[in-house]
Amino acid sequence: MDPRVGLLREFSRGFTPGTAKIETEQFGFAFLEQLLADGVRLEYGELTATRLLHKYKLVDIPERRMDEFLQAHIDRGCNVCRYFDARENDVFCFNLDNNHKTENTVVIPEMELAVQALRSCLQDLGFEPLIVASGRGYHVWCRTEAPVANDRLSAFMLRAAVRALMAFHGSGRDHQQIKFNFYPDVKTINVVSLRLFGSVHAKTKVFSHVLGPEGLLGEDASWRAFEHFVRNRAISLALFEQALDALPVAP
Amino acid sequence: MPKKTIAVDLDDTLNDFTQTLRTASFAYDSSYAISEPVFNGYVERLRSGLREDTDLLSTEYSFFRYKIHARCYQLAHAREDGVEFMQWLRRNQWRIVICTHRDLRRANDLTRTWLAENGIPFDHLFTALNKIVFCKAWGIAHLVDDDGFNIAHGGNYGVNVYYPVMEKHRSLQPHAARPFQSFEEVKRWIQE
Repeated sequence: MDPRVGLLREFSRGFTPGTAKIETEQFGFAFLEQLLADGVRLEYGELTATRLLHKYKLVDIPERRMDEFLQAHIDRGCNVCRYFDARENDVFCFNLDNNHKTENTVVIPEMELAVQALRSCLQDLGFEPLIVASGRGYHVWCRTEAPVANDRLSAFMLRAAVRALMAFHGSGRDHQQIKFNFYPDVKTINVVSLRLFGSVHAKTKVFSHVLGPEGLLGEDASWRAFEHFVRNRAISLALFEQALDALPVAP
Repeated sequence: MPKKTIAVDLDDTLNDFTQTLRTASFAYDSSYAISEPVFNGYVERLRSGLREDTDLLSTEYSFFRYKIHARCYQLAHAREDGVEFMQWLRRNQWRIVICTHRDLRRANDLTRTWLAENGIPFDHLFTALNKIVFCKAWGIAHLVDDDGFNIAHGGNYGVNVYYPVMEKHRSLQPHAARPFQSFEEVKRWIQE
């Protein structure tokens, strides 16, 4: 097995088992039949506005098939997106997107301001996030040593986002140019999924490079940074609680 | 022999979505995260069909619009002849694809619930912003849909479009799609 499949499995251990969204340019009823082999079920499909990119929300995926999807994800045959657990998770992610209908893969100054402010906020709390270029912005991932209840994770992310957005005050920049989404979000569990690290953006075809302190890392260096994150960057529960207490309650 | 396949839209095709949007009563509550006067203004704006003039993807109004639309998906009434048509398709071994503009990430569960409650069978649920491209790509020759874009362009791409006659269709340019009053007509056409 490709060791990167093992890494993605380890990273994904807390996500909803057997459920994933697959993004691919493959389509048609013969393809769908292959996709749904081994008892896999389609909840819904989607033809996006980007060329012939299709998305398939699949459930009841056996472990062996999930590994095959992860290998295809690494080989750029598809992107695998996963759903967070409905009660508790050991990873959480701030999803920062450019909030424009057009030209939204451009990294605007507001995005740079927000991601750097969020990184500083998390580092001040003792966290070392993995920041991944997502196409329309960044995914800022954190990982805890054991699962934390979703309402605690949401409370933390809201407070940290408010702290990060304070950087806009007096900057002359409009925070509405970007959109913050939190994963997991108790309001959208089972609704939204996130692409795993190693994906290729549907529109730009660009690899999901890790954003280091000096800029975007190359593909190999990004995988190494991901491995380091999975192996060494888990936040202790005590530190998480301390950080939650340290941030003021959001209005 | 390839399986006979048809794509069928939901809103204003199998249900009375627009009528529901215009006439249903929507109660204000704090989960909308806006004041009541703003809520009432937004309801009027949504009913009048005015679009939001913004380049932003996500706004207070877009969130509100989604919530009201979701309520309409639940409240809308199924067309009786539409339900009978869908059951006829099933009895006659058609592969049925529900093809909608709805954001199924959020609307999947309530759409499935509504379909089950109304006894509407289907094989697959798809969302497609461009249904003609979807039908063409998937080799689906028949599409039942009220949307003017699909009515205008289906014929050019070999997709037979059938649409329930509505006031909004009066201004359409000449096209190859077939208007119907009753789904009984569609049954005949797809067997030709």
